[in-house]
Amino acid sequence: MPGHVAAECLDFIGVQTLVSDDFEIIRRVLHGEVDSFAELIARYRQHVAKITNQHVPADRVAEVAHDVFVRAYTSLSSFSGRTPFEHWLSAIAIRTCYDFWRARRREELPVSALTTEHQAWMDHVLAAESDDQFREQARRQEAAELLQWALGHLSAENRLVLTLVHLDGYSVREAAGLLGWSVVNVKVRAHRARQMLRTLLLERKRLEDDTTQR
Amino acid sequence: MTRLNDEHLKKVERALREAHQSRQEPSFGDDWTFRLMQDVRRESAGQGRSMMALGLDRLVWRTAAVAAVLALVFTGSVLFYTNRDTVELTALLSNEIDVVLPLSE
Repeated sequence: MPGHVAAECLDFIGVQTLVSDDFEIIRRVLHGEVDSFAELIARYRQHVAKITNQHVPADRVAEVAHDVFVRAYTSLSSFSGRTPFEHWLSAIAIRTCYDFWRARRREELPVSALTTEHQAWMDHVLAAESDDQFREQARRQEAAELLQWALGHLSAENRLVLTLVHLDGYSVREAAGLLGWSVVNVKVRAHRARQMLRTLLLERKRLEDDTTQR
Repeated sequence: MTRLNDEHLKKVERALREAHQSRQEPSFGDDWTFRLMQDVRRESAGQGRSMMALGLDRLVWRTAAVAAVLALVFTGSVLFYTNRDTVELTALLSNEIDVVLPLSE
């Protein structure tokens, strides 16, 4: 057996063991061994942290991840086991992030919230010729802030769909599974949200150009 | 200064995607897990209490249903036996009248 095939087999066996272990832990928790839930937390906290980090502000990640696990615990009896626990938990994480934005009033930050550095950032990105220059611009704080400014103009639904499909790179079907929405709904919303983002960027640039011309 | 065309927009979108994906991953400490487990145990105790309350509710409603059925049976039997006694009494009285009438004649 070639090395990489053996490694893949071992990986597969490892994943299977992990999945069957998850079921065993869940069974114990449901039979009253509450402390066993800490094992699930230890296994999946980084996974949940990764998801919540991509959807809520950095200073609220810990709080939202906390809510995700409490929700998972309270609805653990509804876990059917048809999908791996990780997928089930991901869906809870996404819906908790969605509820976070729904509960929060939409903060439409004015254009004045952006500084001249933000304004110059787009020009720097467009002027970047090499991959390194481009990546350097993408890593800048202004990029993250401009993105947050744009996302702040979207509804909770559009924000989440845009983030899942266009920024995280999930397929429409995967995003639909995570959100519990129909594929068509996700497809339409993803398209609409992207158009909104583009309009925002265009308006932003037009304003910036007008200001410079004056 | 550059006017944005479709290619430019795609480039800006790609940069924003990279910015999004390069967000630093947080890591939670042991105190986070400790607080979380405290809440989980609290939820568990709450669930236990609500299960007990649910059990008590069920017991009360079942007792009420059994009591209602027993009351119906009791009422039915009382009515049934009272009616039968009334019929017998009427029959007895009518016999007495029948017996008494010829004597008076």
